[in-house]
Amino acid sequence: MAKEMTLSGCAAAAQAVKMAKVDVICSFPIRPYTATMMELSKMVANGELDAEFVHGEGEHAQLSVVYGASAAGARTFTGSSGVGVTYAFETYSPISGGRLPVQMMIADRALDPPGDFGSEHTDAMSARDQGWLMGWSENPQEAFDNHLINYRIGEDSRVMLPQFVCQDGYFVSHIPGKVQLPDQAQVDEFLPPYRPGAHVLDPRKPVSHGPQIRPDQGAIMDLQRAEAFLAVPQVIREVVDSFNRIFGRNYDPFLDQFMTEDADMVFFMQGGHAATARHAVRHLRQKGVKVGLVKLRFVRPFPTQEVAELLSKFKAVGVIETSTSYGGSMSGGNLLAEVRASLYDVPKRPLTTSFMAGLGGDVIPLHEFYWMAEVLTKALKAGKVGKNVYWAGFEQAEA
Amino acid sequence: MFNIPKGREVPFGCVTPAPVGEQPMMITGNWREYRPVIDEEKCNLCGNCVVFCPDACWQFNEADDAVVWNAKYCKGCLICVNECSHDALSKAYELDFPDGVVRLEKPF
Repeated sequence: MAKEMTLSGCAAAAQAVKMAKVDVICSFPIRPYTATMMELSKMVANGELDAEFVHGEGEHAQLSVVYGASAAGARTFTGSSGVGVTYAFETYSPISGGRLPVQMMIADRALDPPGDFGSEHTDAMSARDQGWLMGWSENPQEAFDNHLINYRIGEDSRVMLPQFVCQDGYFVSHIPGKVQLPDQAQVDEFLPPYRPGAHVLDPRKPVSHGPQIRPDQGAIMDLQRAEAFLAVPQVIREVVDSFNRIFGRNYDPFLDQFMTEDADMVFFMQGGHAATARHAVRHLRQKGVKVGLVKLRFVRPFPTQEVAELLSKFKAVGVIETSTSYGGSMSGGNLLAEVRASLYDVPKRPLTTSFMAGLGGDVIPLHEFYWMAEVLTKALKAGKVGKNVYWAGFEQAEA
Repeated sequence: MFNIPKGREVPFGCVTPAPVGEQPMMITGNWREYRPVIDEEKCNLCGNCVVFCPDACWQFNEADDAVVWNAKYCKGCLICVNECSHDALSKAYELDFPDGVVRLEKPF
């Protein structure tokens, strides 16, 4: 029977992985994600989950284990946080190039040095160009759902790509929330057993995975991955539609909207701080500020078309960056560059700027959202934005 | 949608048929600038070259009581020349041989 439980993001992820009936799990401890592996190891020890549970000796080993297991036809799960994500970096491109739908959970953690146990998206965002799907969950429920949704997308024969399923460390991974756990029968209907492609390891038809290829083949391998990514948006639409139907949810495939009707300006962001943003938007609306929230569900593939169509309806967009790109074109994070590029061909572009917030484990308090709305309001009055990036909490709204 | 030139197709996921003995899709012999040359009079079949070659390019041929060099994969690192116990191996410039491979003309 479907039931409701109060679970942290980590525990919700573990429940999803269990219901996805994964075959091979590889763990290595690093907080905050590690709570997921604690849950999964208990499930395996108690006989609730029939999976091979391997202890890796590091994140590089973790990813190598699931790489091999996926090549052998297993549904796999691994995960990490912060410096663990970057330690495994070498393995990401071979897994996507090998077209193996490995799933990796990332519960964000600020990178070292110096060490900071807080959450920011830079760990995962640094790996966004490695050929993996990538998206954030706002709360434990969405984390549970996104793990199932990503397995189905990644294992689709048109896709066959690995997935980073991300959630903010602590804010989502360790704050419990209500989670509707579906029946196993519903999950089985949505997510059939993994059927590996013809390139799986098979003693009757021996192949080499991850061989050295010639330089004149490299561009073609890149092209094949790029082509696969072109097919992903349609698969996401189909899969999210199927998920909504089977589980009674109401997800938009790419862009979640809150109070955007008749909005002059919107916050554009991904991840757990959207929960605070919703409250800020409600309070601002009560004060007569016509503001809304647009939440990005997948940053890879980036929904260029959808972003262009939706954001061009508003007069101003404040992109909330929760990761850093030092020296980048926007002098702040990565999202504003993607948003502006998506809007380039739109006849009437909204004013756009970005806010550095939620970095290093900082919360984004309500008053910072109010301040961002003030910056956007002033920009609307002036007819232009003062600059590309504002550091929330550390500067004044310009006149 | 895209045109892949003939002969440059890449299998899905870059998997290749598992090699039996040798991998014809990765010939590395044309990386070398020097090749090892054996003086069979001096060779006492100690096997150092067989053991030390990182690419298994020296093999025993027991029928002929000899070690045999594999030109297709020898990259010319010359570890065998260094390790030879009886100075039976020496290095020779690749392009001095009529069948010498032009280094990196087609690198792979």
